[in-house]
Amino acid sequence: MDIQPYLLLSAITFVIGVVGVLARRNAIIVFMSIELMLNSVNLSLVAFSAFLGDVTGQMLVFFVMTVAAAEAAVGLAIIIALFRNKQTVNIDDINILKW
Amino acid sequence: MLETYIPIFVVIAGGIVFGIVMVKLNEWLGPRRPTDEKLSTYESGMEPVRTARERFSVKFYMVAVLFILFDIEVVFLYPWAVAFKELGVAGYITMTVFIVILLIGLFYVWRKGALEWD
Amino acid sequence: MVDQALRSLAQFLPETALAVCFCLAILVGIIFRRRPQIVPVVALVGITVAVWFAIQQTGSSESVFSGMIVVDPFAAFFKIVIGTTAILILLFSIYSSEVQSTIKRLVEYSSLLVAMTLGMFLMAGSANLLMMVLSIELTGLSSYVLAGYTKEAPDSSEASLKYIIYGALSTGLMLYGISILFGLTGGALEFSDINKALAGGSVSPLALLVASLLIIAGLGYKISAVPFHFWTPDVYEGAPVTITAFLSVASKAAGFAMLIRFFKVSFIDSNVVGLPAGFWASLQDFEWNKIVAILSVLTMTLGNLVAVWQNNLKRLLAYSSIAHAGYMLMGVVVLSDKGIAAVLIYFVVYLLMNLGAFYIVMLIEAKTGSEDIDSYKGLGYRSPFISVAMVIFFISLAGIPPTAGFIGKLFLFAALLDAKWIWLAIVGAINSVISLYYYVRVVRNMFLRDPEGAKTPIAFSLPQFAILVILVIPTLVFGLYYSPIVELANASLSMFGLP
Repeated sequence: MDIQPYLLLSAITFVIGVVGVLARRNAIIVFMSIELMLNSVNLSLVAFSAFLGDVTGQMLVFFVMTVAAAEAAVGLAIIIALFRNKQTVNIDDINILKW
Repeated sequence: MLETYIPIFVVIAGGIVFGIVMVKLNEWLGPRRPTDEKLSTYESGMEPVRTARERFSVKFYMVAVLFILFDIEVVFLYPWAVAFKELGVAGYITMTVFIVILLIGLFYVWRKGALEWD
Repeated sequence: MVDQALRSLAQFLPETALAVCFCLAILVGIIFRRRPQIVPVVALVGITVAVWFAIQQTGSSESVFSGMIVVDPFAAFFKIVIGTTAILILLFSIYSSEVQSTIKRLVEYSSLLVAMTLGMFLMAGSANLLMMVLSIELTGLSSYVLAGYTKEAPDSSEASLKYIIYGALSTGLMLYGISILFGLTGGALEFSDINKALAGGSVSPLALLVASLLIIAGLGYKISAVPFHFWTPDVYEGAPVTITAFLSVASKAAGFAMLIRFFKVSFIDSNVVGLPAGFWASLQDFEWNKIVAILSVLTMTLGNLVAVWQNNLKRLLAYSSIAHAGYMLMGVVVLSDKGIAAVLIYFVVYLLMNLGAFYIVMLIEAKTGSEDIDSYKGLGYRSPFISVAMVIFFISLAGIPPTAGFIGKLFLFAALLDAKWIWLAIVGAINSVISLYYYVRVVRNMFLRDPEGAKTPIAFSLPQFAILVILVIPTLVFGLYYSPIVELANASLSMFGLP
């Protein structure tokens, strides 16, 4: 099995995710970018796992998925709390504290 | 080895071509007399009430959050189900503890009233 | 398999106590809805029991749950530090106006504090990359919610959002690093297996460097090392003071425990002979301690320089805590037992003085409603005892004898000179001098300036003084009689699986 294409795809999606987190201004899209990052991690873990013939990689993926879900849930809840205060989810408007 | 798949590729290609041809033929031959009624959103025969581009109630968020949390537990139940016999009693006890903790969470959510819509 | 799990459980008592306490706190909270004041008591009892179990563990050295977690004196030390901080924070919360004004949510506050303590306990003991990620997440998720605890205040929910965005980003980076390391080492997750794979095989140094840098991003975020510190000032300013104090001590301690264990166990080269006693070597062609040295210099310099310009005392303490993380990183750089012991000593000292300073900020804010340095003008006349205590904490933070802070710095610099890291010691010394400036500025406001506005004395209750005394006395005593902490630190050096 050739592992390179999988790792390349994983690296590309990871970079897209990181750029999304740093460049996008809508808090929801920022969280979607974080999901993208975590999913690229999953891809590379599954690829390594298949390449090495070792299932621990896939086990790790299960936990990464759970972590991603928990993060998304807490993130959404915090966005609701913030939205009730400020009526916006744009990060540029969230600026009482200087960055 | 690939040769054996040629019939399948032919069928797939035929399907794609047939689909495109029918849609295009319809567009080309069929009469087009648009009215307001015809252009409005199809809502299973009901009259559309408002525009679809509006904010949803924040309550949907709450449901989404709870759904994510209680949905993802299945990720741990599947591998357990697959390896149920090998894991035996130890696996059973472990998963019971896991599910009891989740149930405490569900109980909390319920008593806090997060499951009620209003 | 069942008895193996049971045997592991016997070594897992502190964490089990916390997990049970967390579930109990939630159940008590929803059963006795009218009396949320019971829940902090449940949490306090649970954490105390956990600390007691952790103290029992100081002698054991074992690996439990098939290598996921280790129980050793090193982990026990950090568990005691974290648990003690949690107990003090729960005591602080009794007098916190922010916590007491939202009494309905006391259930969530206490139970999440327990969950966060559990996460940090696991961080101190994790010896496996998977456990590392999960424990960081457990700590992180509870702290994101707690940072936004006063959710009606816009700055609190804003702090919370910034915290989770940076937190999720750095976890993502760390996970990617872990996936690379997993592939590089041929499927190793345990730190000791990583070490074996790296020592035996020919691993691409570039890939190893990238993986370690990504993992450092995750750990650096937890200890708020520059350049992963961006969240720190905002979160410290926006979050309730009690949570800020908890994050600044316990979260940092857990992060350091994990950083030291991960790098020492994964990258130690046990084949190098002829080193002086108490020193070890890192694997050839991968000198991670140089990376940490750069981080350390950046962290303390930026922390101290920016702290000089701050007018909000919470924000000032945030930058000062960044600077302290920089000092402690110096102890990790030297690759010697003396360095690690110095870090442990520093943590005991840092716990006392930093919690003390935040406690006073909290008390004053409850009375005057302000955290600005200007509102401390003339405080020396309005409340002499509190002001004198603040001066003690501040000269301790600056590292001036005869306080405990001096002892902490003394051992750090001694370890550096011992390992011939002279230039780093000089940078550290210059930084200590800079830090003196902003600490003295607050002290000057308290004693040499006339009060603005109200001049009436500020009164505090007896229990409030009692908590303060618990923190002030050791800060002074350990400055002169420091052999107990030094002995404790030296006894807590050994890690499971290492000579």
